[in-house]
Amino acid sequence: MANYMNPARTRRAAPSALPLTMKQRKYIGYAVRYAIAVVLIIFAFIPVVWVLSASFNTSGSLTSPQLIPRNPSLANYQNLIQNQYYPFMRWMGNSFVIASISTVLSVLSTTVAAFALSRFRFYGRETLMRAILLVNIFPGVLSIIALYSIVQQLGNHVSFLGLNSHATLILIYTSGAMSINVFLVKGYLDSIPRELDESALVDGATHGQVFRMITLPLAKPILITIAVLTFMGIYGDFVLPRVLLQSSDKLTIMVGLYLFQSADYAQNWGVFTAGAVVAALPILVAYLLLQKYIIGGLTSGAVKL
Amino acid sequence: MTAIANKRFIPTGGIPARWLIAAVVDAALLWLIAHLIDDGNYPLALILLVLVGIVTVSFGFERLRAYRWLSVGLCMTVLFVLYPILYTFYLSTTNNGQGHILTKQQAIDFLERAQYVPETGQTYAWTAYESEDGSIRLWLTAADGSTYVTRIGEETQPGVAGEDGVGELDDAGTPVTIDGATRLERRSLLTRLDALNDLSFGLPPNAIQITSMNAAATTVQRYRYDAARDVMLDHQTGIEYKPVTGTFVAETGEELRPGFFVEIGARNFERFLASSALRGPLATIITWNFVYAILSVLFSFALGLFIAVLFDNLPGKRIIRMLLIIPYPIPALVSILIWRNLLNPDFGALVKLTQDLFGSSPRWLTDPTATRIAIIMINVWLSYPYFYIVSSGALQAIPSEMLDAASVDGANVFQKFRSITLPLLLMIVSPVLVASFAFNFNNFNLIYIFNSGNPPIAGSPIPAGHTDILISFVYRLGFDNGLADYGLAAAISIVLFAFVAVITWVQFRYTRVFEDKS
Repeated sequence: MANYMNPARTRRAAPSALPLTMKQRKYIGYAVRYAIAVVLIIFAFIPVVWVLSASFNTSGSLTSPQLIPRNPSLANYQNLIQNQYYPFMRWMGNSFVIASISTVLSVLSTTVAAFALSRFRFYGRETLMRAILLVNIFPGVLSIIALYSIVQQLGNHVSFLGLNSHATLILIYTSGAMSINVFLVKGYLDSIPRELDESALVDGATHGQVFRMITLPLAKPILITIAVLTFMGIYGDFVLPRVLLQSSDKLTIMVGLYLFQSADYAQNWGVFTAGAVVAALPILVAYLLLQKYIIGGLTSGAVKL
Repeated sequence: MTAIANKRFIPTGGIPARWLIAAVVDAALLWLIAHLIDDGNYPLALILLVLVGIVTVSFGFERLRAYRWLSVGLCMTVLFVLYPILYTFYLSTTNNGQGHILTKQQAIDFLERAQYVPETGQTYAWTAYESEDGSIRLWLTAADGSTYVTRIGEETQPGVAGEDGVGELDDAGTPVTIDGATRLERRSLLTRLDALNDLSFGLPPNAIQITSMNAAATTVQRYRYDAARDVMLDHQTGIEYKPVTGTFVAETGEELRPGFFVEIGARNFERFLASSALRGPLATIITWNFVYAILSVLFSFALGLFIAVLFDNLPGKRIIRMLLIIPYPIPALVSILIWRNLLNPDFGALVKLTQDLFGSSPRWLTDPTATRIAIIMINVWLSYPYFYIVSSGALQAIPSEMLDAASVDGANVFQKFRSITLPLLLMIVSPVLVASFAFNFNNFNLIYIFNSGNPPIAGSPIPAGHTDILISFVYRLGFDNGLADYGLAAAISIVLFAFVAVITWVQFRYTRVFEDKS
């Protein structure tokens, strides 16, 4: 009579010759889902596995897509480091210097601005916030020609603000500080009780001291999040350095890799794969270490750069 | 509170230091402004003046101290974000581009620097000296035997042994060294004559140029601009050049290079919207631009959501998630280049694999449809992890009571998903979807890096490709193969901007970034 009580179960079990228990169904469900997971993971890893395998393969033949190279060696990586025409290590260095300095400056000015927007009530505050959002609607790529021309004009008089200068790039990246990230940090600062600031102010602290000694330490999680995302964004940026940098020794790794690939790929595919691995590795490692900040940031609306 | 009652909290005054910073920054900016005004570059000078205003006001007035905190960010945004936008608007109304890059003043300055050797000019025999830093000076001997020393950017001086850096004279009467620099061998001169010809020694109006292996001559300015009549006069030939849409043109039609840019109103927009030759390629580009952005978002979101739902409560979810997110942290450029290699028709590993399995493979980089499919597939690969993360987050926000209640009412998994999870989730992620559409609509990197917008559209008057989107077409106009049609490129940028602005305005209505949480 039990089946009588549960019509749903009767209906489902009836046509089947071998009625499955709940547990069996659960395991079949798992099996199907794991199978799908495997297929998806293969899809996700195709390029990764290929580039890793090819970078250790020195047989010089591209035509045989073997998964595990027959004579694995580090020759490609050696060639990469010693390459005279394509200074990969230099490019990596450039990328790191540019991305690190820009990230520090950008996160700092983002936070300072967010602090002002969160803690001060001043004339024009709302208007300013709207203006910041409005200005950031304009996709950066669209103004690349205008930027190029401005940089050219400035460079006529101040050479370190001109074309082919890392300082120019860093300044432009720092100008990305007033982006949507300001609102993220502001939102976070809003959630830190103002009473903390006020008691310090009563004790005679300046706003600068409150910012340095109370706000910054408390805002660390959100700062790490935007710092990581900013760094990833700048490190991986392509258009700006492609347009603004000219001489080979000044290039960033992304532009260098692109130029190498389009110029010399057929002869040097092995070196390219080694370069791709080297270029991606630091970001991958950083990502694995700081995963929780990145995912937390993404779910709260952060963006790269 | 003991830590806070620390004596470091004693206010430090700091008014003079503050003013000093403002003064230094202002001085540097004003110096730059003066130079830009010299160039005739008034817009950039004006925007720098705005920066001076921001710095002075925010540092000068205690009442505006909040702006002091914002000043660095504001200055940067004004100079590198706001000004480029305004400048793009301005560019779109000019003919700025190949041959019309300079301002009128810069073009005039450039032309006025040109020199020529008049028939009646003084000529000299010369000897060149090169110092270790590569700078060149000349020893000149005139027909009457008088000698001179001339350097770049300095007045020519009479040449006397032992004076003014001139070393001892040799038997032929030429110094062995000048300023410690040694004589250039006649042999090495041959190969360097072209470079030496370009140098101008001494100061105008008595500038001296090398004219041949044996002679240097006093040169005079060739062109002079008559501001009152707005004409450029050529002293060598006596011809007058009048400015016509950014070029000095003689009556015979002969033109002077370089030209300069002038305002041409809405002509760029007319070209974009109404040029019959461009219409075909532009229609292709715009259609593909929409298809590409919509399908990319749709498929990436669908896959991301599918994964999020499917693995939501699966044992081992953490590992699966870590593995599936792998495309996200890899710099997009690296991934795109790798995909490009995998799909290379000559030696791509995936192409070989499909050929081995099925006997043939789509021509990924040369066939328009196949290339488009490849681009969307790669974009899905690149962006599903983002949607996976976002959807997972959104799933946590759906109250489980609602799902439980539905279960009690006899709803099955699919019914619950369709009527509860999906609608709620769409509400949460719709701003992200809109933003992602706007981003992909201008996703230059993927298009440019994967195949530079190729394969090309045959017969297009301006080179364009089947996978070009508007923004990559703009890049072509600006930076490819010396097209450099900045005016048209800026006009298209403005159209794109308007489009994205509308999308974002819609998006803002659903988000509440302005709220002050507390």
